[in-house]
Amino acid sequence: MTFAARPTIQPWRRANKKRIWQIVAASVLPAILTGVLVLLTGIDPALATVVVFLPLQLVLASLVGFSAYGRRGLGDAALVVLTIFLSAFVMVLLLSVLYSVLTEGAKAISWQFFSQNNVYVSGTTSLDYGGVGHAIIGSLLVVGITTIVAVPLGISMAIYLTQSQSKIKNLVRTVTQALSGLPSVVSGLFILSIITSGDFLTKSGFAASLALIPLMLPTVARVAEEALKLVPADLRYAALALGAPNYRAFFQVILPAAKSGLITALLLGLARVIGETAPLILTLNTNNGTSLNPFEGAMATLPTYIYSYLSSSFVPSQQRAWGAALVLLIVVAVLFGLARVLGRSKSLKTKPTNKKASK
Amino acid sequence: MGKLRLMSESSVTKPAPVRRKLSAGPLSRGDKWFFRTTSIAASFAFVLVALVLIFLSLKALPALQNQGIDFIFGNVWDAADDTNLIMQIGPMLWGSLLIALIGVLIATPMAISMAYMIVFMLNSRLAKVATTLVDLLAALPSVIIGLWGFYVFTPVADQWASILNKYLGWIPIFQVENPEYGFRGSPFIAGWIVAVMIVPIITSITREIFSQLDKDLINGALALGGSRLSVFRKVILPTASGGVVGGVLLGLGRAIGETVAIFYVLQISFDINLGQVLETRGGAVASWILARFGEATANEQSGLMAAGLVLFIITLIINSIANVIVNRAQPWRKD
Repeated sequence: MTFAARPTIQPWRRANKKRIWQIVAASVLPAILTGVLVLLTGIDPALATVVVFLPLQLVLASLVGFSAYGRRGLGDAALVVLTIFLSAFVMVLLLSVLYSVLTEGAKAISWQFFSQNNVYVSGTTSLDYGGVGHAIIGSLLVVGITTIVAVPLGISMAIYLTQSQSKIKNLVRTVTQALSGLPSVVSGLFILSIITSGDFLTKSGFAASLALIPLMLPTVARVAEEALKLVPADLRYAALALGAPNYRAFFQVILPAAKSGLITALLLGLARVIGETAPLILTLNTNNGTSLNPFEGAMATLPTYIYSYLSSSFVPSQQRAWGAALVLLIVVAVLFGLARVLGRSKSLKTKPTNKKASK
Repeated sequence: MGKLRLMSESSVTKPAPVRRKLSAGPLSRGDKWFFRTTSIAASFAFVLVALVLIFLSLKALPALQNQGIDFIFGNVWDAADDTNLIMQIGPMLWGSLLIALIGVLIATPMAISMAYMIVFMLNSRLAKVATTLVDLLAALPSVIIGLWGFYVFTPVADQWASILNKYLGWIPIFQVENPEYGFRGSPFIAGWIVAVMIVPIITSITREIFSQLDKDLINGALALGGSRLSVFRKVILPTASGGVVGGVLLGLGRAIGETVAIFYVLQISFDINLGQVLETRGGAVASWILARFGEATANEQSGLMAAGLVLFIITLIINSIANVIVNRAQPWRKD
C-alpha cells in the first residue's frame, strides 16, 4: 500500500546518482578555482595542482562524504581521492615514458635506421645515414646464446621444483628467488672477474651472454614453475598409475599441458634480459660496424647503443638514442604482449579457487 | 588387523613373513636420468651463487686486505697513485642507501594506492588493464627509464626541487648550500627514478596479497558499519602488512642494485651526503662502479670488484629476508 511511496534505502548500492553528482562537483569546483588562480596570479600550474587543487578537493570530498554518511564518510572520501590521485600519478609517469619514447623515437625511425650500421657516422651526421641494424643483430646474437643456455636450465630447475620429492626443494627455491634480486652490475663484474683472471674468456658477445644468464635464469625458473604448477597433479598421478615412468609422464602429459606457460617463461625471460645494459658495458666492447662473430671482438647491442649515444651533446646522436630506445621498447612490448596473450587463458580460471581446493 | 594377528599367532611354527617394503619399485633408467639431470640443473642455482662469491672475492681480496674494514666505512677514494691506492666506498654505500630510501618512501604510497585501486575500486576489466600497465612498467628496461629520466624527468624534477627548496628550505633535509647551481643530479631526482622502477614490484606483491584477503572479513566489517577508511585501516592493512613489508623490502633490494638509470640522472661526486636530498652531492655504489670502470687500472679494478661484492652481499641479505616475509605472507603459493 504505502510500500511504493517509501524511499528505498539500498545500502548495497555503491553510489546513487545524487552522490555521483556531489563527487563530480567536489572535483570540478577545485579544478575551476585552481584554474582561475593560475590565470590570475600566474602561479605554476603543477605547484597549484598539489598545493591548491589537491587539498581543496580533499576537503570538499570529505564534506560530501560527511553530508552523505555523517562522521563515517569523513575520511572515506579523502581515502578515495588520495588513492585515485596517486594511482593516476603512476599512470602519468608510465604514459610519460611511453609517450616521450614514441614521439622522440619516431623522429629517427626510417627503413635505413633498421637496416644500416653506424660505420661512417659521427656525432653530427644527419639521421639520413646510419642506423641500428648492427645493434639489432648484436642483441639477437647475445640474447640468443643466453636463451640457449638459460631456458633449458631454467625449465629443468622448474621441473625439479615441481616434480621431485627432494627435501632441499625449498632451499633451491629460496636461492633462486634470491638470485632474481642479483644486481645486473654484479653479474657483469662476475664475468669480468673471470675474464681478467685467465685466458679462457675474452671480452666478447659470448662473455656478455654469459653475464646475462644469472639474470635470465630466475625469471625463467619462476614463471616455468608457476606454469607447471597449474597442471593438475591428478593428470600426473593418472599417468604414473597407468605405469608410465616419471619422465614419460612429464614429456607426454605435463609438457603438452604446460606448453603455453613455458613459452611465456621464455618470452618473459627474453624481455627481462634484452634491455640489460650494465653487464654488457662491463663485458663487451661496442663498435659501429656489423659483427657476426660473438666469440671475439667488439659488438654493438641495442642497450649499449643507447648508452653510448645518450649523453652525447649532439642532437642527431641523441635522436639516435631515442630511436634505438623505441626499437627496444617495441621489442619488449611485443615480447610482453605475446606472453600476456599466451598466459591469459591459463591464469584466469586457476587463480584463487583451484589453489585453495588443492591444498 | 585383529584377524591378521590371530592368524599369525596360530601359525607359531612358521617364521614371521618378511615385512614387504612399500615402494613403487626401483626407478627405471630413464627416470634416474630424468631426476639426475633436473637436480643437476637445480644445483646450478647454488653453484652460481658460489661462483659469483668466489670469483668476486678472489678479485676483491687485494683491495680488501689493503684497506681493511675502512673499505666500507672510510670516505676517501684516491686513484691518482696506482702503487698506493686508497679505496673506501663509504659515501657511495651511504648514497645507495639514501637513494633507495627516498625511492621506497615515494614508491610505497603510490604502490599501495595502485594496488588498492586495482583490487577494491575498479571493475574486473579496468583492473586487468591497470595490472597490465603496471606490469609493462616493470618490463621497461632501465636504460629507457634512464633516457627518459635524463631528458624528460630531470627538468621537471629540477623545477620541483627548487620549489621544495624555496618553500620548505627550513627543513634540514631540503637545505642546499648553493641553490643557484640548480638541483640536477641530486639524490632526490635519482630517488624518484628509482621509485618509478620499484613501484611495479611493490604493487604486484601488494595487489596479490590484497586480492587473496578474506572477502568475508571485509564484507563483515562493511556490514558492521565500517567505512572504506576504517576497513582499510583496521582490516586490510593489519592482515596484509606482512606481505606489503616484504614487497617494500624487495623494492629496496632492487633500488640498491639499480645501475644504469641512476648513472644517468645522478651526478656522482665522491663526497658524503648525509641527507640533504636536494644537494647535488653523493653517489651510488653501482653507478660508481660503472663510472670508474672505464679508466681503472688492474689495482683499482680490484677495489671495484670489492664494491660489487659488498653490493651483492647486501642485496642478497635484503632479498632473502624479503622473500621469507613474502612467502610467509602468501601461504597459497606453497606447492
